[in-house]
Amino acid sequence: MGRAWLGILVLLAGCAKPREVSFAMWAGDEARNRYFETVVREEVKQKYELELRIVPYGHTGEVVSKLVTEKGAGKTSGGSVDVVWINGENFRAAKKAGVLWGPIEMPRLYPDEAYEKDFGTPIEGMETPWQNAQFVMAWDTARFAEPPRTLDGLMEWVKARPGRFTYPAPPEFSGSVFTRHFMLEKGFDGGLAALREMKPYLWKRGETYPATIAELDRLFANNEIDFAMSYGPSFASERIARGTFPDTVRTFVFDSGAIGNFNYLAVPFNANDREAALTLIRDLTSRERVLDMAQKLGNAFPQKGPAPGLERGVATLPLELLRAKFLPEPDADELVRFEKAWRERVLLGR
Amino acid sequence: MVRWLVWLPVLFLAVRSLATRWFWPAAWPGEWRGGAWGAVRGEPVWNSLTLALAVMVGAVLMAVFLAGSFRRSGWVRWGVMTLALLPPLAASVGLHGLFLRVGLTDSWWGVALVHLISATPYAVMAVAGSLSRFDEDLVAQARTLGAGRWAIWRYVKGPALAPGLATGAVFAFVVSWSQYVSTALIGGGRVVTLPMALVGYQQSGDEAVAAAVSLVFLGAPVMLSVWVERGWES
Repeated sequence: MGRAWLGILVLLAGCAKPREVSFAMWAGDEARNRYFETVVREEVKQKYELELRIVPYGHTGEVVSKLVTEKGAGKTSGGSVDVVWINGENFRAAKKAGVLWGPIEMPRLYPDEAYEKDFGTPIEGMETPWQNAQFVMAWDTARFAEPPRTLDGLMEWVKARPGRFTYPAPPEFSGSVFTRHFMLEKGFDGGLAALREMKPYLWKRGETYPATIAELDRLFANNEIDFAMSYGPSFASERIARGTFPDTVRTFVFDSGAIGNFNYLAVPFNANDREAALTLIRDLTSRERVLDMAQKLGNAFPQKGPAPGLERGVATLPLELLRAKFLPEPDADELVRFEKAWRERVLLGR
Repeated sequence: MVRWLVWLPVLFLAVRSLATRWFWPAAWPGEWRGGAWGAVRGEPVWNSLTLALAVMVGAVLMAVFLAGSFRRSGWVRWGVMTLALLPPLAASVGLHGLFLRVGLTDSWWGVALVHLISATPYAVMAVAGSLSRFDEDLVAQARTLGAGRWAIWRYVKGPALAPGLATGAVFAFVVSWSQYVSTALIGGGRVVTLPMALVGYQQSGDEAVAAAVSLVFLGAPVMLSVWVERGWES
């Protein structure tokens, strides 16, 4: 008798608890957090009867190291993450450690190059493209009308106005991609030489650099430097809406192009519910969802084909221009080597 | 007067959390907006609070049991101090593997346990400090007067060690309250606490939101220390 009751109780508990799908995402953007906690959660529940659980992280690397430890300890099922938002070095580490499940089959809605390499690491279906990011710089039209649009022009500008330019020190993401543009355009040694040439004219004579993008934003908003930069093409519009940049700020890219990359969704090897994970990925990468995110969060629209009626933020460049200027990221190995060389030869000046 | 200066950073945070369009050289924000406070969610506050309170109780109990042997035995001292001195990341990674095998990861209980491990040394040291000034003869006297174990604690040892117990409790609370790495690893992102919310916002440079979350983060320890200080004065 007692056992029967227990069985019924277990059954009831099982029924009462809806099927869950957990999504590990970087959670530093309040607008995005809110969008996922409200819009996405509600729609996923309505459409697929899944309870979306956000697993917020300060760094995606934490998810990867957690998975690696779990693999080491033999926890091959029932993991706490069903879908993870990932790219670049974290993807390389995760793929190498074999902590991802795949290949994942999804409709190919994105440009072909998005399926090939992620920072030089062959993807082989172990992650599927979701959004993209592209490097843009910002200036304040209230201070001057036109920014320089070539590296040589920027060099002249910096020399003419000493102390009014700087970039976050690599490996900070945005500072790193800024230096990488020099590498792509002028070669490994040429890029380093140009950055060295620029150094004495930087903010604080290049003896110190902002450590975070937040510091750079602050310097720019306080009119201590002339340009802000970010790996998010809509960052200036976002800051204007948030009230951290004046309304007169606009963004630009170099004539030679703007480095960009895709970010991806992947399924951990020990995901609790692979089927639910794929359902969530199918929703997040659907045309409607990606358009909605572009609309509401000011993201780029990374999929193939036009995005009609897409409203852009006041300081965000047109989609067609960003697409036309897209430059893919170099290999993660070369990136790391360049960051090291920057530290030795530019920061320390050896 | 000087006492009030302590509140200056708090005041600044309060202003920052409500201000937008605050550009140099303006001394005052261009616009006030309460939206940043919407980022303070209930779940992290609740998790942080329940964890810290549970760890506080647990660590004080541990301290009561361990403080005596901490003073007497070099081994116990060595063990407890090691817990305090280990780099949190190394300790958490090691414990993560252990907790995985016994199924304690991704749960409130696992996080509480790993916080307890970090908090215990501080509570033990605080209580051991009080214990060093405690005259053991008082216990013997109470016993000759017919007091049992419980009565000895209730009327003799407890009141004498109260300052140490209170200090240990505050330490334990604050240690648990400020854990980040261990919560992220053992909690697997399932147990979201205030520091985890804070780190993300600080990185993204959303200062208003970071200020709002910081104020909530400051709130509990500040209230706790005010309360303990009151207890001292009375």
